[in-house]
Amino acid sequence: MLTVDGSFCEGGGQILRSSLALSIVTGRAFRIENIRAKRRKPGLLRQHLTAVRAAAEIGRCKVEGDEMGSTELVFVPGVAVGGDYTFSIGTAGSTTLVLQTILLPLALAKAPSRIVLEGGTHNPYAPPFDFLERSYLPLVNRMGPKVSVTLERYGFYPAGGGRMVVDVTPAESFGGISIVERGDLVRRCGRAVVSSLDRKIADREVRVMRKRLGWDEGEAEVVEIDRPVGPGNIVTIELGYENVTEVFTGFGEVGRAAEAVASHAVQQCQRYLRSSAPVGEYLTDQLLLPMAIAGSGTFRSTGLSRHSETHVDLIGKFLDVEIETEREDSRAIVISIA
Amino acid sequence: MLNVAIGMLGMMRDRGDGPDRWSQWRPTVSLCQHEDLLISRLELLVETGSMDLANRVAADVRSVSPETEVRLHMIEFGDPWDFENVYSVLHGFALDYQFDTDQERYLIHVTTGTHVAQICTYLLTESRHLPGRLIQTAPPKRRSSGQAGRYTIIDLDLSKYDRIAQRFESEQREGSEFLKAGIQTRNVAFNRMIDEIEYVAIHSRAPILLTGPTGAGKSSLARRIFDLRKLRNNVAGRFVEVNCATLRGDGAMSALFGHTRGSFTGAAQDRAGLLKEAHLGILFLDEVGELGLDEQAMLLRAVEEHRFLPLGSDKEVSSDFQLICGTNRDLGADVRSGRFRNDLLSRINLWAFELPGLAQRREDIEPNVHFSLEQVTVATGHRFRFNKEALDMFLRFAECPDTPWTGNFRDLDAAIARMATLAPSGRITEEAVDREIDRLKRSWRDSGTSASVDGTHVLEALLGDRLDDLDEFDRVQLERVVLVCMESRSLSVAGRRLFAASRRKRKAPNDADRLRKYLSRYRLDWSMVKDALPG
Repeated sequence: MLTVDGSFCEGGGQILRSSLALSIVTGRAFRIENIRAKRRKPGLLRQHLTAVRAAAEIGRCKVEGDEMGSTELVFVPGVAVGGDYTFSIGTAGSTTLVLQTILLPLALAKAPSRIVLEGGTHNPYAPPFDFLERSYLPLVNRMGPKVSVTLERYGFYPAGGGRMVVDVTPAESFGGISIVERGDLVRRCGRAVVSSLDRKIADREVRVMRKRLGWDEGEAEVVEIDRPVGPGNIVTIELGYENVTEVFTGFGEVGRAAEAVASHAVQQCQRYLRSSAPVGEYLTDQLLLPMAIAGSGTFRSTGLSRHSETHVDLIGKFLDVEIETEREDSRAIVISIA
Repeated sequence: MLNVAIGMLGMMRDRGDGPDRWSQWRPTVSLCQHEDLLISRLELLVETGSMDLANRVAADVRSVSPETEVRLHMIEFGDPWDFENVYSVLHGFALDYQFDTDQERYLIHVTTGTHVAQICTYLLTESRHLPGRLIQTAPPKRRSSGQAGRYTIIDLDLSKYDRIAQRFESEQREGSEFLKAGIQTRNVAFNRMIDEIEYVAIHSRAPILLTGPTGAGKSSLARRIFDLRKLRNNVAGRFVEVNCATLRGDGAMSALFGHTRGSFTGAAQDRAGLLKEAHLGILFLDEVGELGLDEQAMLLRAVEEHRFLPLGSDKEVSSDFQLICGTNRDLGADVRSGRFRNDLLSRINLWAFELPGLAQRREDIEPNVHFSLEQVTVATGHRFRFNKEALDMFLRFAECPDTPWTGNFRDLDAAIARMATLAPSGRITEEAVDREIDRLKRSWRDSGTSASVDGTHVLEALLGDRLDDLDEFDRVQLERVVLVCMESRSLSVAGRRLFAASRRKRKAPNDADRLRKYLSRYRLDWSMVKDALPG
């Protein structure tokens, strides 16, 4: 049985989620120890338990230690079975993180799946729905499976109550891809979304985006959500190229000026634009898992975070793949998987 | 284990309309928002008229915590600031609720509700009507949107907290030490009993019955219980003590219950009576078995209802006292023979403690010798000490199984007092001890430890006609042996006493076996001898 150290890496959440996905895909059991060992409240939290239980459900797995505050967990995988699943996630915890755990196993299952996820869809500590839809899933789809996702309701922290539906058609074959160049810019758009909040907030955010990015009126818009569940505000900037789409976000918070929220997204966008690499730091981290499972592929990244380095180590434990990184210059790094 | 939270809907703090409510901190919603606490079920007590608010809070809880089942309970406080109303309603809820403590862990949320409701909730949790721990929630330190804030779980089982438990333990140890007057007793059973008495004395005002032979220390223990309660601010009144054997006839009634002027010849003035004097204090009735039946009847009513009728009065008076009774009689036997009321006995022996005689606590003799000596020092202002050899000699005698200590601590204290008085220089010598041992032996012989049982009758009962075949030479010996057996708890105890001299010389004593063989020579065994009641 593999042993994973859950103490390193921020929060330990991603280590756990990737381990769950890798375990089901590879059929290898694992034990994760020292979960959040150095935290004030160590052990598993609700969002982790939700991920563990969702993985156990779709993969017909056996679990020991899946209790609140548990610092050790043993996970013995079964086989991922396609079908209809519904998961409701508490504390406005992110639906996208749960999807991250179960998507790849289901994309490799025999039968298609329909997954309904309820809870937070736009949460500052998780990839927002827009990133998933525009950036991540198109790349997964290029590897073989067909994954489509629909946002039925926005779920902002803290009220939650969002809902999205994911349709997964597994692939005949799951193959690696190559993303070396961005290609031509085919679309760009900025959006300031307000839910149960004054439209003026979004107006101010749109003004900042246009001014700082030099975009036309039609390229940045205000979105007011119909029948909102709770208050929330998010700014997204989307850059669509021939080979890749990147999404940058800023989250509104009580006490944080609208201008600061928009600036945060703009700054990330500008940093990306200073590099020529197609895959941003965040997408790099997300892409490692499907590429490694595919077993081959190359992409150029704007940079490898410490988070990603840990992720690479973890993947090496489950899969017999070589992940090589080669720095081109200070703004680009080539990652190849074989 | 599933976490089940029980709490009241906060009429003010859980309030909130429109989307703004998500930027307020609402205790009941926040309870279900913690990443490290999963509430599987929320039992929300809702006052009638707050249904709209309750439904909104319930919906919001479901949104932030789909894992939580919310159950609403309608309650009607009337005035939510009225202690009696609120307590009754919450008590009723606690009684009706089906707690399943094997499967569920209860968290009693005390952040919402009026202060009165919080007090009642606390009381019901403390009394285990609500078998759970308290949970206190608080808003986040920095006000920012929707943070769950903080929570603290408080277990009222104080033994769960190391430092508090230690504190209690030392307090209890102090209490027990106090009851033992600081005497470092070694007898395990005795020490355990004192611990129990300590607990009862602190936690209960129910009657206590102290049994045991005369001089075992019933009276001083009763006083110590009072002093301990006084020390802990547990008693407001006085300690009133009376030996019931000294109460006779009309005098008994009036001494206990008081009288009005002219109620009988010589009753020139009103008299309050001992029960009344003991109001809010402790009444110690020693030799309670000597109380007449009329007095017993009056006492029963006074204990049950705190009311009684003084002699010659037609107006009842009340007195709320704690009763401690002492006796060396077998009250059960007295009930059977009609000497003692059964209902009174069952009333006073809720907490019954049997104080062993000194002979059953020989390991405690030494600490008591030292204690007694100190008492003499305190009383006389002079310091007294034993010579080392003298002390050894006295202890050898005192701890010997042969020494009957018929009068128990009274005998021991008297012996120490005499030896001290006869030691003008303050040193108690071997000679003084020797003389005291003689004196004690003589006093026990004179009071007739064994003489009360007629040996000849016992032998007749045991042997019947065979007694005639016995030489007087053998009969005297057998008589003594049988009497010792009758006084002893077991064959071994009797053997140790009868063969004490040869026992000291031998490595592997076989007294019991020797005694058994001796008895069998007369076709007697232990049970026959024990069953042979004199007369």
